[in-house]
Amino acid sequence: MFHLPRLSKGTVVAMKEIDLLQGTLDLLVLKTLSAGRMHGYRIASKIQQLSADVLRVEEGSLYPALYRMEQKGLIESEWGLTDNARRARFYKLTRKGRREMQKETESWLRLSTAVARVLKALEQGA
Amino acid sequence: MNALRLAWLRLKAIVTGRKIERESDEEMRLHLDLLAEEYEQKGMTRKEADSAARCRFGSALLIRERGLDVRGGGILSDLIRDVGYGFRILRRNPWFTVVAVLTLAIAIGANTVIFSLVNSLLWRALPYPKSDRLAVIWSVPANHPEQKFPGTSGAYVMLRDNTRLFEAVGAARLYEAFTVAENSDGANWERVQAQWFTQEMAAVLGIQPMVGRWPNESDDINDLFIVISHGLWQRKFAGSFDVLGKKLLLDLGVATVTGVMPPGFELLNPDAEIWIRQTVTPPHGPVPRSPNRIFTAIGRLKAGATLEQAQNEANSIAVQLGEQLPEVQRGWDLKVESLQDVYVGRIRKALLIFQGAVFFVLVIACANVAGLLLAQGVGRRRELAIRSAIGSNRWRIIRQLVVETVLLALIAGLLGLMFASAGLGAFIRFGPPDFPRLTEVGMDLHVFIFTLLISGVTGLVFGTLPSMQVSRADLTGALRETSRSATLGPQRQRLRSGFVVLQISLAVVLLIGSGLMLRSLLLLDMAQVGFMPHGLVTFQIPFSRSVYYKGAGNTPAGGLMVEFDGKLNQITERIRDRLKSLPAVESVTVAITPPLGGMPRRVTFARDDTPTEPAEREAWAAEWYPVTADYFETLRIPLMRGRSIGPDDASSRRPVVVINSALARRFFPNDDPIGRRIVFDLLDDQPREIVGIAGDVRQNRYELSSQPQVYVAQDQLPRRMDLNIARQVLVKTFVVRTSGAPPIDALRAAVREIDPTAAISTVRTVEEYAGAQLQDLRQYTALLSIFATISALLCVIGIFGIMAHAVMHRRNEIGIRVALGAPPASVLRLVLRQGLLLVSIGLGLGVAGAVVITRVIRTFLWGITPTDPVTFMIVTAVLAVLALVACYVPARRALKIDPIIALRID
Repeated sequence: MFHLPRLSKGTVVAMKEIDLLQGTLDLLVLKTLSAGRMHGYRIASKIQQLSADVLRVEEGSLYPALYRMEQKGLIESEWGLTDNARRARFYKLTRKGRREMQKETESWLRLSTAVARVLKALEQGA
Repeated sequence: MNALRLAWLRLKAIVTGRKIERESDEEMRLHLDLLAEEYEQKGMTRKEADSAARCRFGSALLIRERGLDVRGGGILSDLIRDVGYGFRILRRNPWFTVVAVLTLAIAIGANTVIFSLVNSLLWRALPYPKSDRLAVIWSVPANHPEQKFPGTSGAYVMLRDNTRLFEAVGAARLYEAFTVAENSDGANWERVQAQWFTQEMAAVLGIQPMVGRWPNESDDINDLFIVISHGLWQRKFAGSFDVLGKKLLLDLGVATVTGVMPPGFELLNPDAEIWIRQTVTPPHGPVPRSPNRIFTAIGRLKAGATLEQAQNEANSIAVQLGEQLPEVQRGWDLKVESLQDVYVGRIRKALLIFQGAVFFVLVIACANVAGLLLAQGVGRRRELAIRSAIGSNRWRIIRQLVVETVLLALIAGLLGLMFASAGLGAFIRFGPPDFPRLTEVGMDLHVFIFTLLISGVTGLVFGTLPSMQVSRADLTGALRETSRSATLGPQRQRLRSGFVVLQISLAVVLLIGSGLMLRSLLLLDMAQVGFMPHGLVTFQIPFSRSVYYKGAGNTPAGGLMVEFDGKLNQITERIRDRLKSLPAVESVTVAITPPLGGMPRRVTFARDDTPTEPAEREAWAAEWYPVTADYFETLRIPLMRGRSIGPDDASSRRPVVVINSALARRFFPNDDPIGRRIVFDLLDDQPREIVGIAGDVRQNRYELSSQPQVYVAQDQLPRRMDLNIARQVLVKTFVVRTSGAPPIDALRAAVREIDPTAAISTVRTVEEYAGAQLQDLRQYTALLSIFATISALLCVIGIFGIMAHAVMHRRNEIGIRVALGAPPASVLRLVLRQGLLLVSIGLGLGVAGAVVITRVIRTFLWGITPTDPVTFMIVTAVLAVLALVACYVPARRALKIDPIIALRID
């Protein structure tokens, strides 16, 4: 799903796959879409940009995820035109998706704070 | 809700599949373009950017497929694609398809026929409201609980008045026949089957007449009131609605019609057309003491009451009965049985055996088609290998193959359904006569679902194993080898051999089963009946009871007693004389039951010189046949000693009896019976002198060996008789030996000349009676033989298939052997060895299985045990020869292999 980023151009430092918790990609996509409707490419590049190039979304995972969420009714899609007038499929959050995003965000934050707390505590030699 | 929505989306996707794919493609293209633009902006050339984007994006095809997994029709649309592909495959191999479909269709059809019977006869409710609550309460002798009899009126009244578990208990006399005429001069008489019903039967059965009503309390207890069948209504009254209150003349009096039953109404005797109101003691009146066991008690259980509870209640009532009526009820128990069981009990076993047999046929058919599939799978290895090389996983391939076989089985199922409906029609027309409610047999939704189900399951079962084998593709091997040299690998060969062994062993079991029944039939056909049935024709004249006897109070035992006047014997003798004078008639005699066609009465007796031990008394019994002169001569029963019953015995005051050899052997082992006297346990009967010993005769059932039998002169019967015996004596059976075809019309005319009111019924040859007795067995045997033959045929096809394949497989090797000079015999041996090994394993397993399984048909066998060695040997030999031929033909082909060609193939 996610690959560790290339640190410098052409040098792959680590390509080991990280098994992210199921649904993390979904959460990121939902969050990204909360800024407004966008097409697949925009979603991918936005996540990459926001994560300061740390997270790179693989297309092979992105589209199935989008279709899946659309079927669940979390997002919906429509055909529209991009800035330079190309036909593209735009995705946007549904109300249900927004609720789901808020719920998932909270639980993700809770989880990551908890994990961080444990790690920090152990580092300090508790 | 979500699942529903998803299903809807998937369904929609199946329809709009193309559009989804197109949109998906467009989306990917845009993404790729944007990626490329991004790279270009970073300073790549157009071309570099394109390839970098493509490189990063990965396989658009794969993404599309994965997207389709989510958004497409899912497994359903795959299935549709598989089915379409399956159809193409089946069309591409028409021979395989035709053979497989036919094989399966025959097996499925056979299963459907038997299931229809089971469904209609065993499972479908009887046509009475809440029929599961109806039960028959039999009287059974405590020492023979398996024999079920109607009960006494006392037993019925006690049940009716003391039950807490039955809503109502009625009684019926199920088998009666009357001569019905429309007016008193006997015009338009007709012989009609009737039943007596007590008033309670209306409530028990819960069925009302379609016209009028059941007889009830308002109808005078001294008169006869009847309801009639729909058929009789149409026949006698042309379906007119003013039938109510009309009179019919029965030979026991004038009866008033109160109602007409709906069409199809019956109770345990489909031929009954008249239901006569039977009067017994009113509720809580005195318990009748009659010893006649003529009332079949039928009750309707209260809601929630079980048969078991009812049985417990009946047990305690039986105890009370024994105390209150010791002389008639001691030694008798009551047995509660659901009406449904009474109807189907006799045939349940036969049906279950058939069900087992057709299941075997189905398994054999499956094994056959599975074998074919394996062989055919070889031809498809390259196709499957290519499919798996381009990314199809093994489960996907298995699914495709299984879809094909299920498709095959469903097509076969549809065809089987057609076969079945034809087969069922034939069964109803020619089926065993003892099957109840045969007219109700038919195919309904249950049958359809059953057929669909077994077809589907069949497809799954015979498809899965071969698919798993075939799909275990050795890629490189499969792609490298040429299709012509492709053969079964050792593992598949083994699987296929397993199928063949299974087929052979099941076929052996079926063949032995039907062989045993066939041999029973042959033995029965050859059985000595003790007389010469050929040329004998019989008919019955049920003389009107009101004319020939009158009531005479009660017997000492408490039963009804009647007194005959001499007129019955006179008229019988006059008719006999008239018949004798007919040209084609050789001789005539009169009995009370036709030979091989009636139920004999058993009577106990004692020697008058030595008293019988009390413990022996029951054992001293014989079948009792009142006959006229010329009986032995007409039937051609050999006389061992002494004389037969002659015309002089009619007027003689000296009562005589002729016994048979069985009786002489059994009861006079040491002394000469001739001249001794025996006395029968019958009202007013005198000691009778034994004047002759006749040969043993199968008077009753074909399959029963001869019992002790006695023949007495009808004219020497006591005048006063128990009503039960009198009713039997009143129905005279004329047995006529004719040369050439029986002159039925002349016989009728002659009888009418003497007695215009006499109603001749059941004109039949004795050979017809004999045939009727064996008809069940004959038809069971025929049915089982059909199944066995099908299975043997399938078996031979299976063996042939695997052998032909084996020869092809070893073509190379055989070619080399022949090239090196191997003699034909050794090549033959080489090929045959494998086939014969399979055959012998199959035969061995089959024989072992048969030893265990044939026990279930024991009740259908006669004269042999279920492990009859002759049958086992013959069947094994026949199958072995068939198998040998099936092996030999392909083996011969092996000999004809041209080594050059064989070697050049690879």
